[in-house]
Amino acid sequence: MPRIFTLCTLLAVALLAFAQDDVLHAPKTVSAGKSLSISTSGQSSATFYLLGPSHVVKRSVQLGQDITIAANDVATSGTYQAIACSSSCSSTVFQVLPASPARLSFLLHPSRVPVSNGNAINATAFVFDRYRNTVLSPAKVDFHITLPDGPTMTRTGQTTRGITWFEMGSTPKQGRLQVVAAIADANEPRVIQQVASDACHLHMTASPSGRIVKLETDPIRDCAGNALPDGTIVSFTKIDNAGRSTVDTPIKKDKASAQFQLSGNARISVACGVALGNELSVGGRQ
Amino acid sequence: MKPLLLWTALFVFAFMLLARESEPASVSAASLPKVVLHAESIAPRAIEQRTGEMVTRNYAQAWLDLANCVEANRTDLLNDLFTGEAKTRLTRLVADQRKSGLRTHYEDHGHDVKAVFYSPDGGEMQLEDSAQLEMQVFDGQKMIYSSTSPRKYLVLMTPGADRWYVRSLESVGNDAF
Repeated sequence: MPRIFTLCTLLAVALLAFAQDDVLHAPKTVSAGKSLSISTSGQSSATFYLLGPSHVVKRSVQLGQDITIAANDVATSGTYQAIACSSSCSSTVFQVLPASPARLSFLLHPSRVPVSNGNAINATAFVFDRYRNTVLSPAKVDFHITLPDGPTMTRTGQTTRGITWFEMGSTPKQGRLQVVAAIADANEPRVIQQVASDACHLHMTASPSGRIVKLETDPIRDCAGNALPDGTIVSFTKIDNAGRSTVDTPIKKDKASAQFQLSGNARISVACGVALGNELSVGGRQ
Repeated sequence: MKPLLLWTALFVFAFMLLARESEPASVSAASLPKVVLHAESIAPRAIEQRTGEMVTRNYAQAWLDLANCVEANRTDLLNDLFTGEAKTRLTRLVADQRKSGLRTHYEDHGHDVKAVFYSPDGGEMQLEDSAQLEMQVFDGQKMIYSSTSPRKYLVLMTPGADRWYVRSLESVGNDAF
């Protein structure tokens, strides 16, 4: 007899639990930022909880009436638990999906890049909805690329799990390279500076005057003809009877210049970064 | 017979001493949730071994901090490994929980994490996390919700000076990946 009683009690509890799981009826999925209605069954008053990934709602409700969830209560995408507690608690789970693409986070690296450098530029775009949820469904992002010499080209990337990326080489001409990532109404412009590469055909001339020799380079350019920026250091090195002497001097108006006092015959070389220029032999008075 | 007993006793004593010395490290390691990182299909950049180890350790610590944060409703626990939107959202969640008198208890049984994206410049890494979590929500002393269902998270981590930060931690549906 006690066994039958226990069995009946367990059955009753199971039935009750089953019945209570049916107290709340929510849609399986809802779009982020859209209000929804959760229907309820029962008659008593209850405490209602909405547990989301970044937000919690707690309020009193009357079972049997629909519970309206405001749009801003489901702005974050993810798994939500709706719970109603009276004498016991029952719950239902639903998924809030990201809304349509509306925001971009765009990273363009590096901020300065030498010209004519293969795959030196990389761009990564993250696509979000207006509530900063990552848009998981594939979306197309347009990248409008404006080159330093004017022309604009567009390439399109499709997102995977909210991310798209590409690599490109820098172009031969120095200057501003702008990339605008665009999706829906969102535009994110980024600019990087293409700078001259290493010096090419570095050449200097000497003007001796007694024990003094004045040195000046020709305009210093890279192999594509871009002038190296002012301030780039050029090194002049002299070796004569007095030993070895080096002068580091910045480029001013495309050229670099230096002056040495000579002690006998001298060999003078010039270098800029990894580029070596010509070497001169200059005879000075003993 | 006597020397044998003596050696056995010495061996047992030495073993107990060693076991005791190594105890704190194992306790500390055991308190972190288990995270297994798979990086075979990561693109476009391969992940360096040291980076993988760092990401794994930091992500495990982040989950421990998260669990402690939502249990105690303390946002200061988020300062070490959360940043950006992840930190903003958890801070808001804790504020709401505190206001409503709720707390959440996580029993963390581990994370199977797949690294899927590592940007060419090494500035962002995206992870897919299949987590085995038991979740219990309390209103005061009363448990109002309990779940043992596996959960999935899409994670974005970014490197800092000496660690990887969780920048985004989004729960996604079971069919997301």
